[in-house]
Amino acid sequence: MLSVQNVSKAFGGIKAVDGGSLEVKKGTVTGLIGPNGSGKTTLFNIITGFYPPDSGEILFNNQPIQKLLPSQICHRGIGRTFQITRLFWKMTVLENMIVPVRHTGWRTLFSQGVKKIEEEHAMELLDMVGLTKFRDDEAQKMSFGQQKLLEFAAILMSDPELILLDEPAGGVNPVMIEKIMTLVDDLNRQGKTFLVVEHNMRLVMELCQHIVVLDHGQKIAEGEPAAIQNNPLVLEAYLGSEHHAGA
Amino acid sequence: MKQSLIFRNAWLFVALIVLLAYPQFQKNQYYQHVMIMTMMAAVLSSSWNILGGYAGYTSLGHAAFFGLGGYLVALAHNRYGWHPFVSTWFLAIIVTGVALILGWISLRTQGSAFVVVTIAMVFIFRLLALNLSGITNGARGLTQPRPGWGDVPWSPEFIKVPFHYIMLVLLCLTVFVSWRIRQSKFGLGLIAIREDEGKAEAVGINTMLYKVLAFGFSAYFVGVAGGIYSYFFTYIDPQFIFDVFTGVTMVLIALLGGRGTLWGPVLGAFIMEPLGNWIIGEFGGTQIHLTVFGGILLGVMLFMPQGILPTITNVIQQRAKARAAQVQS
Repeated sequence: MLSVQNVSKAFGGIKAVDGGSLEVKKGTVTGLIGPNGSGKTTLFNIITGFYPPDSGEILFNNQPIQKLLPSQICHRGIGRTFQITRLFWKMTVLENMIVPVRHTGWRTLFSQGVKKIEEEHAMELLDMVGLTKFRDDEAQKMSFGQQKLLEFAAILMSDPELILLDEPAGGVNPVMIEKIMTLVDDLNRQGKTFLVVEHNMRLVMELCQHIVVLDHGQKIAEGEPAAIQNNPLVLEAYLGSEHHAGA
Repeated sequence: MKQSLIFRNAWLFVALIVLLAYPQFQKNQYYQHVMIMTMMAAVLSSSWNILGGYAGYTSLGHAAFFGLGGYLVALAHNRYGWHPFVSTWFLAIIVTGVALILGWISLRTQGSAFVVVTIAMVFIFRLLALNLSGITNGARGLTQPRPGWGDVPWSPEFIKVPFHYIMLVLLCLTVFVSWRIRQSKFGLGLIAIREDEGKAEAVGINTMLYKVLAFGFSAYFVGVAGGIYSYFFTYIDPQFIFDVFTGVTMVLIALLGGRGTLWGPVLGAFIMEPLGNWIIGEFGGTQIHLTVFGGILLGVMLFMPQGILPTITNVIQQRAKARAAQVQS
């Protein structure tokens, strides 16, 4: 479904991603892990069109997308969340849900902002994440965990085929992490494909069928969770060579 | 439900009737003049609000479109005899075309850079008007015949009445389009851009397209108003019509009434313009009205940073919530 091939991105003299490659198969949950600064979020930003890659190719459903705008990539069927939750803070919860509706063409552009059918769909999704009672509240008035859930629910409004989650469990309490895990698992069973950047190893190991590990912008390992857990290169990247040798 | 809708909008019908009847019961030409200028200020600020309020892009360069509309109408009137009341609606489409091109260039910048670029637009147009003297008559400006219909000029007693009504039509149209935009997906997208442009792009909004379109819409009504204005005064020159202060006033009015709201710019105009005229009438043509405006804005920024209308609305909503909570308990 998604194929990232030898993608590189440098900021000045710093190579954030250095020939990074990964494959995401349809219907899977793929984990993208690595120590801080390994280029995970940069790779997310490249895939979603926020940064143009210096070199390499990105194919989504066999079509190159590396030269498209973020909005065009969204229309192709890739949705994403952000490492630091980003919402339209002064808009209501319902409006936050409605904005991401995929619409093209001039007629829809000037059509009613909130349509009944969209509102109903938004309410179903809000119900799924337990936020229906907040529908008319401003997004900024919700708790951090609720904001994470809202961001997650909102991207489902555009019905993306592939969902990129950037640290969904970051700064979230254990109850909320369980909720997020259940949601991802349920949606995956319904056919949604996920690429997840996460530091919470329990979430990664339990949810992901395939894991890609980055370090210094390069892929150092990939495979099933059990194999990754015992991979010496991964342990070295996370713990350093001395710790690894000691262990 | 229907009754409540009628009740909520009753003030609008009353205001419209008052404005329709105004020239009939107010025969004083000075007050008629003030009302025309007030409605024009409301048009300019409401129009600016489509870009500056909904999308959050502060343009100080809308005077460029105001002046361009004025020049196009004056030229078409003098050279081809096109009546400004008719031609201004069509010639403003050219203004919109220019705005779309300028928007496509300038909207690559954000924040203070965008403000500076838009100010530069006014100076560029002013320089063009000054130097293309074969077309614009340069610094001497353009004079139009006394307003009238056909070869018959309107009498001094009647002359302001047609301007009152055409400005009222323009105001209604501007507010209607602004309302329609606010209710549409386009309007929702503009507000999303104001809130977080990167996020808006990520969720599928073609932010550049939305911003450029908003720029075009907001320039159109400013261009129409510029055309009517040039006919109203029958004389324009580059210094007079391409004035950065015109753009600044649009912003100040919107800030006072409530930027990003439908009625805020209208409310702001109906406060600022009559007040400015009253101060000038009382204290002469000094700059004291600017000092008073500065003081008012300072007060609004300190105590009502969202503007008058959103602050009042919030107070009413909070009181209603408190009352509802009391009833429940």
